[in-house]
Amino acid sequence: MAFPTDSAQPRLAPGCRWGNSGEDDKVLLFPEGALRLQGTGQKIVELCDGQRTFLEIVGALQTHYNASDATQIRQDIASFLEQLQRKRIVDY
Amino acid sequence: MLPNPLALIAEVTHRCPLHCVYCSNPLEMTAAKLELPTEAWLRVFNEAAQMKLLHLHLTGGEPLARADLKELIAGAHAAGLYTNLITSGIGLTEPRLAALIEAGLDHIQLSFQDSREDAANWIAGTRAHAHKLELAGIIRKHKVAFTINLVVHRQNLDHLDEMIALIEVLSPDRMEIAHAQYYGWALENRAALMPTREQLENSVKVVDEARERLQGRIRIDSVTPDYYARYPKACMGGWGRRLMLIDPAGKALPCHAAGVIPGLQFDNVRERSLEWIWQESPAFQQFRGESWMQEPCRSCDRRMEDFGGCRCQAFLLAGDAAATDPVCSLSPTHHLVETTLLQMNTERLPVSKPISVAQPQTASWLYRINPA
Repeated sequence: MAFPTDSAQPRLAPGCRWGNSGEDDKVLLFPEGALRLQGTGQKIVELCDGQRTFLEIVGALQTHYNASDATQIRQDIASFLEQLQRKRIVDY
Repeated sequence: MLPNPLALIAEVTHRCPLHCVYCSNPLEMTAAKLELPTEAWLRVFNEAAQMKLLHLHLTGGEPLARADLKELIAGAHAAGLYTNLITSGIGLTEPRLAALIEAGLDHIQLSFQDSREDAANWIAGTRAHAHKLELAGIIRKHKVAFTINLVVHRQNLDHLDEMIALIEVLSPDRMEIAHAQYYGWALENRAALMPTREQLENSVKVVDEARERLQGRIRIDSVTPDYYARYPKACMGGWGRRLMLIDPAGKALPCHAAGVIPGLQFDNVRERSLEWIWQESPAFQQFRGESWMQEPCRSCDRRMEDFGGCRCQAFLLAGDAAATDPVCSLSPTHHLVETTLLQMNTERLPVSKPISVAQPQTASWLYRINPA
């Protein structure tokens, strides 16, 4: 597998969901594990709703963080999603 | 302050339609009439969620043998726990599966014994393989995380590639390839289950190749046999550190096998809260920290990495639950493990042939029985 394409629509894989916890420190639950996500990581996964495309997610985060280095933020999001995809937490 | 555990393992029953020769259940199982009632389990799940435990693993025996399984899942889900059902699939129809998912089931782990039907039924002591195959297809159509578990050992390791190929076709999200661990029924059957060194080394290669090939499609988690390791496993992530297990009668244990250790008194959730048990129960405190450790653990750099290995294995093999796990190459009783491995690797123990399940008297196995 590889990085998401521009038109890919990332979503949480079956059996992966948010746990019940605070707003700015959320726990992502999945088979045999859990990830505590904050900041950008949390933001990225929240945008993976199966509707938004990868390109739209990148756009939303660039706006949110007012990022100057567009290539870098795109690369960071792609490799973060690829890691989650390997763990079968996110599908695209 | 003592952190709360991450997960609760609920052995909701010891009843099971399968008789797997490597079952981790204790040799003395809980009778059906002593099982905790629905309300007691629901109270335990609520207490677990209040303690911020994340995962609930529903296991057994076969959890589907409980008529109230849907209520148990609904209650755990409502409390906020992530629910995982570990099952043989016997007793699961599509409507019941749909109802369990509707109730909040997050993850289902279906066990397979082999890729070959006769061998699978031989290991399970019953005809279950065909149903599992059909069920896997049904599970895949539903929105639930799907893991296939495969226990590997001397009798099936020579065709591990074939078993992985079968699982690949069933397309779960995850596969767990676990070498048998020698407790309970598996220890009774150890001579016929322990792999040779050659089988082990080959299996590591086969699993690595499959992991590479299936990357991004099926996640593979594997468990290696600790008898062949240089250092012991950090059993359960350390005694009373990350997990607690409730047996069918409500006894709280630090792990599946802890009941074998003499002198430990296990508190029961019928009488005590989960939190009290975690904090105060003498059985949970017995091997916490490092003051109980003997040499060479006591002065070992790895003592907070592997916690001296498995307490149950130390008792089962060396007769002393506080000893260094004999699988550790530094253990003064390591020769016990080396002797066993020498036998397993020199005597030409035959790979047995599956026998007809209709004629169990010809098997060399000790099959697990079913509690009354």
